[in-house]
Amino acid sequence: MSRRRWTSIGGSAVPSVGQVVTYAILIGLSIVVLAPVVWAVLSSFKTQSELAQRPPAPLPSSLATANYTEALGSFDFGLYLQNSVIVTVGATLLTVVVNTMCAYGLAKYNFRGRDVLFLIVLGTIMIPLQLIFIPVYQMAAQLGLVNSLWGLIIPPAATPTGVFLLRQYMLGIPDDLIEAARIDGAGEFRIFARIVVPLCGAALAVVTIFSVMWRWNDFLWPLIISQDQAKYTLPVALAQFNSQLSVPFNYILAMSVVSMLPVVVIFLILQRHIVRGIANTGFK
Amino acid sequence: MSPSHARRAKPWNQRLAPYLFVLPNMLIFGLFVVYPAINNFNISLYDSRNGRDFTFVGGANYQELLSSEAFWSAARATAVFATCFVVLTTVLSVALALMLNRRIKGRAFFRTVFFLPVVLSPVVVGLIWGWIFDRGNGLLNTVLGRIGLGQPGWLVDGGLAMIVVIFVGLWMHIGFYILIILAGLQGIDPTYYEAARMDGATNWQQLRKITLPLLRPTTMVVIILSLIAGFQAFDYIWTLTGGGPIGATTLMVQYIYENAFESPIRYGLAAAASVVLFITVFALTLLNFLYGRRKEAT
Repeated sequence: MSRRRWTSIGGSAVPSVGQVVTYAILIGLSIVVLAPVVWAVLSSFKTQSELAQRPPAPLPSSLATANYTEALGSFDFGLYLQNSVIVTVGATLLTVVVNTMCAYGLAKYNFRGRDVLFLIVLGTIMIPLQLIFIPVYQMAAQLGLVNSLWGLIIPPAATPTGVFLLRQYMLGIPDDLIEAARIDGAGEFRIFARIVVPLCGAALAVVTIFSVMWRWNDFLWPLIISQDQAKYTLPVALAQFNSQLSVPFNYILAMSVVSMLPVVVIFLILQRHIVRGIANTGFK
Repeated sequence: MSPSHARRAKPWNQRLAPYLFVLPNMLIFGLFVVYPAINNFNISLYDSRNGRDFTFVGGANYQELLSSEAFWSAARATAVFATCFVVLTTVLSVALALMLNRRIKGRAFFRTVFFLPVVLSPVVVGLIWGWIFDRGNGLLNTVLGRIGLGQPGWLVDGGLAMIVVIFVGLWMHIGFYILIILAGLQGIDPTYYEAARMDGATNWQQLRKITLPLLRPTTMVVIILSLIAGFQAFDYIWTLTGGGPIGATTLMVQYIYENAFESPIRYGLAAAASVVLFITVFALTLLNFLYGRRKEAT
């Protein structure tokens, strides 16, 4: 580090030009990242006339929650919130269960067809729903999943990335442990549930966090499946209302903040795990 | 490896168990990923004007696409968007990760801040930025007006709208790629730098000769992931510009969505477009992968 050469009498380093530039860029970008979010949150407390005011006031006149209570009262906002919660929780549970089981089967058994199945999993990591949603929709329609929350829960549950990540993690669990349990007379499922799953905490945390993030924020698939307004999730309701002029913008803002809040809170609590989890796998 | 007779000697429950473990996932997977991926091509050979009665038309949908101005417009917009998105993502994520990898104060804070947009809802992100970039009442133009600068029609001018969409895409996703590059940087053995410093290599030489070459595999991952993300961009654009003005920011996914679900419903045409998109993404990914392989080999 070149800054040692710049040491002053007091012993504290005088920052080099490079460091000043680095800090300036990082601080500047942090403002660009944070400002819109903070602005939106502050504005969600403003009245309609305050929002229309030019130039805009930086702070709302009071931290009134009127927008929130009114938005909740005048739309089925509660219902959309409930749909989002049911879909996110249901889909995440299903994702974690089927992905973990599948990963275990692929990681710890030697069976006919295993390599083919694993190759299929790997190969489809590159097929996001966005590229094939028409045939997926057709399949969902044939199975009667359109306009039902099941249609939002089941189809996206088998994520190849989840299987891949968990399998890689399970390869690190020693086979001797499983053999020892077998000798002690434990059944196959019992070994999985009581020995393997508890050892996969870190990988399960990453899959869970990502599933919650994806399902909660998902838009295209819910837009396709929820054709009836009663089945809207928050993002779909927000996007649809935003395109209607009849819905006041202060309500949209309040709903936006509510739909941001849970993931941001989860993120801030679990950010160490998320960052480490991604850093360790290098994949999404 | 166990000898072959050991396999036959396994009890029935051990032989059956793996199939039962993979079954639920593979069932969902087969129904909603593998079969649809194949069926996509099949649908593209049919036409249906109401979403129900299908008639076989062969390659007619593809021919129609080639002569459709709306398709070419979406293809061009997607190419522009994806190219800018991938290039800027790669350059910026490497540059920012290098900054964040230095011993600076507040490193954890900056990492958290840059990653924050990744967890936000794209719909909400589009809403907020749409509101900031609004021509008349937008925050940005209010500020620009106050300091005496012009008030450009950010979302009204096609070229500007594309720039805004690319900017918002970067704003939302860059944190994720920074993290991947950071992981790659931490995987580089510090002894290389020690040796280089002893030989009197400057910081710039260390970056050119050590960091960037050893970072290549990680950079490939970023390029491939951002390529896929660039080609599937939709949700935040939908709420930011709605695809406008006059289709300037209507990318392929939106084009396919509108043909499949908005009247007049053209399933077959939409499916043909998604086959084209699919093949493009696949080919570019493969190309990237092969190129990366060759570079590694030499």
